[in-house]
Amino acid sequence: MPETLSYTESELVALLKQRTQAAFSYLYDNYSGALYSVVLSILQDKELANDVLQEVFVKVWRQIDQYDPGKGRLFTWLVNISRNASIDTLRSKSYNAQKQIRELTETVYTAAGSINTETDKIGLRKIVNLLKEEHKILIELAYFQGYTQDEISKLLNIPLGTVKTRLRSALIQLKDFLKK
Amino acid sequence: MDIKEYIQSGIIEQYVLGLADPDEVAELQLLRNEYPELHEAISDFEQIFEETIRANQVQPPVFIKSAVEKQLFGDDHSGAIVIENAFAAEPDKKSTSGLWKYLAAACIILLVASTALNFYFYSGYKKSQDQYETLLAERNTLQANNASYQQDLKMFQDSVMKRVEMKGMPGKEQNVATVLWNQNSKDVYIYARSMQEVPTGKQYQLWAIVDGKPVNAGLITDCVGLCKMNRIDHAEAFAITLENAGGSPTPTLTEMYVFGKI
Repeated sequence: MPETLSYTESELVALLKQRTQAAFSYLYDNYSGALYSVVLSILQDKELANDVLQEVFVKVWRQIDQYDPGKGRLFTWLVNISRNASIDTLRSKSYNAQKQIRELTETVYTAAGSINTETDKIGLRKIVNLLKEEHKILIELAYFQGYTQDEISKLLNIPLGTVKTRLRSALIQLKDFLKK
Repeated sequence: MDIKEYIQSGIIEQYVLGLADPDEVAELQLLRNEYPELHEAISDFEQIFEETIRANQVQPPVFIKSAVEKQLFGDDHSGAIVIENAFAAEPDKKSTSGLWKYLAAACIILLVASTALNFYFYSGYKKSQDQYETLLAERNTLQANNASYQQDLKMFQDSVMKRVEMKGMPGKEQNVATVLWNQNSKDVYIYARSMQEVPTGKQYQLWAIVDGKPVNAGLITDCVGLCKMNRIDHAEAFAITLENAGGSPTPTLTEMYVFGKI
């Protein structure tokens, strides 16, 4: 058995607040794989993903005092930081929204599947790909592309109310798949 | 609140994935404190979420760990621990509270301005209200007077009335008055067409000359148009004298102003 210790989330948070290198090391070793998959599933580019992952860990280190356990688990908090950083990068780079949509619609609607089959298996994408088309596209746009429901409504030319209800259904479906 | 429905609505998944909007987030935070089953459902999903992500994780390149360590702890392990300014991590908080302070200040200024305007408008309103009420009163008076005049006009035209024109006495020629004498009812009315203004303490009195003797027909008051006087059954003439206020049992003949023979 490895000599690695296993901390509960609250123990880890307490450790991290002490800002020891050991604490950082534990965090990286136990969470980088998960967080990297989140970043990669959004950016789909390893170079960019590497940069963003570093950015994420620095951010986490700085902002650990802001983590509120009453609002959710540490893991969720880390994933959301990772997701937000990835989306910021996605939106600020030369990727433009139109290009994304074209690629995305190709991915979703062509029988051939996505351009990069590898990315299909990363993080949540593996599960999302099991959803039916109209749900899949919403989660792609909302989760992986960072579009607001309002923006999605305009992009797909669907009423905002429909976007809201459909997204909720999509997420319920997603949850059902996760449980299996 | 049907908490079961809420739990099954998809909002939990939306929240954990970071897809809920601020209102929805706020509502969920409130509700989770109230409903332990909600709190549990959220934790359950978070667990599943973690398990799923971990099941599909991807190991990053090895160099990244040391790159970050270098950034956070410096080159060698005995080097300075770079503790980024924790306060720098709070720009969001600051700008949010700054925004709230600004909004609060703006609200207070608006409130004060609004209150000042209220006072200004109210005083204007009050003034208008007073003017309006004054106008109303004047209007009412005018209407009443007009009605009176209409009636008087009718009386003048009424054939049952005997009209007695009274001429001014020598030295007082400008005074003119008219008596209307209802031949049926014997009511007497006086119309002081053009009588000198009465000095303070004095009053005009109407007399009917009956069988050569003066009979009091009433005091002339400040009436509008025709004044109703005493009933007189017979008379040969009418006269007006100026008496002391309250009248006199016998006329002061030197103070006769107008006289009219029937």
